[in-house]
Amino acid sequence: MSGMNNIDHNTSSQSDIDEIESLFHISVQPAALEVPRSVPPARKPSSPPRIPVSAPLLPPSFVSSSNQAFSTPVQSGPTPSTGAGFGGGPQYNTLTEPVRETLKRDLLRVATNLKDVVLPNPYREDPGKALRDWDLWGPFFFIIFLALTLSYSATENKSKVFAVVFATLSAGAIVLTLNVQLLGGSIIFFQSLSVLGYCLFPLDVSALVCQVNNTKLFRSLVVLVALAWSSWAAYPFVSTAVPSSRKALAVYPVLLLYITVGFLVLAND
Amino acid sequence: MAEEQYAHPGVCLFTVLFKFSALGFYIMCSIFIESFVIQFVVTVFLIALDFWTVKNVSGRILVGLRWWNEVDEQGQSVWHFESLDQQTLETLNKKDAWLFWWTLYLTPVAWVALGIVALIKFNFDYLLVVGVAIILNAANIVGFTKCRKDAKKQIQQFATSTLTSRMGNTIQSAFMSSV
Repeated sequence: MSGMNNIDHNTSSQSDIDEIESLFHISVQPAALEVPRSVPPARKPSSPPRIPVSAPLLPPSFVSSSNQAFSTPVQSGPTPSTGAGFGGGPQYNTLTEPVRETLKRDLLRVATNLKDVVLPNPYREDPGKALRDWDLWGPFFFIIFLALTLSYSATENKSKVFAVVFATLSAGAIVLTLNVQLLGGSIIFFQSLSVLGYCLFPLDVSALVCQVNNTKLFRSLVVLVALAWSSWAAYPFVSTAVPSSRKALAVYPVLLLYITVGFLVLAND
Repeated sequence: MAEEQYAHPGVCLFTVLFKFSALGFYIMCSIFIESFVIQFVVTVFLIALDFWTVKNVSGRILVGLRWWNEVDEQGQSVWHFESLDQQTLETLNKKDAWLFWWTLYLTPVAWVALGIVALIKFNFDYLLVVGVAIILNAANIVGFTKCRKDAKKQIQQFATSTLTSRMGNTIQSAFMSSV
């Protein structure tokens, strides 16, 4: 798959990027220096069939130690691109493709994460692993969307509503993550932030649906359903992260946060 | 100064563009746009774009550094800081690198100043925006500074290993020749 991406040879930055990419994987020892196979002395805008960029792709599996300034190349041949999505990971060697392609990949990652977190999936093996490639774009959009929707439907104090919702959600997510960590949880800070953000999706939907109909009963029902969905989605992640004796301590604040947001949605008129 | 041109003018442009438009929009927005909500969303969006550009595009192309985070099989979070090897680092354009580092360090200073202004004016809503800006800029600074440190460490290691290997060779050849 990776070799096919090299379609755009017309940008002069392609050569630099290829060069840079191939050099990222040159090991430190002078004896083992591979001459980068695509060394252009001058920047040719249209280069002959380039050796596929696949070689410099960095599969996450062999970067074993952290804080290593170099990734030593283990394989010389083209390596499959398994690094589909990590928090801003190294797969952007295909920068020659316009931003469109990167955007597409990011959107795909958001969609995958959303699906993993929110949709019912009885065959999900271990919820702790599901959001391994966390990203914060999804939660960012959901928080902004929710704040925007609530602010839009507010009749007065629009900016205050927006600011309050945004601040509550972001501060709440951070505090809840800290809570899980302090309870001896084994979840990673950003992963947990990501989960909490993605679980806002049902509440987003409910806020949108509540725009349609303004009767109290309808809104209560919608918010209740959304709340149940959010909590159901968030529960496995949070509960598996902490030791079982502390499960309630971790889960309760999450439920509380979502109930608060639910009230914000409900009370908006 | 004809010989010192920017090697990647497009990338430099975008690096600077998003930063300045975020700052500029924040400062000027109240003149043009009434609604705080729109101001907030647009500014934060520009800040996020700037963060992404600097981290993924400018860092790699202008100064040959990159950093990211991974979650490995055991569920541990692993931070990676990488830099190009010494030779390529020297071939990178100095002007590009100068621009990159200066804008990287100066922007959060500007945001802190704006934050102080907002604090004095009691505009706590705007402090949210400034908070987001500072957090994202600080993340980039920490990430790239760590890359730089690792680059320097690599250079030192490389130098010592070359030195020791060369000394070893010299000693060996001295032995051989004497024997």
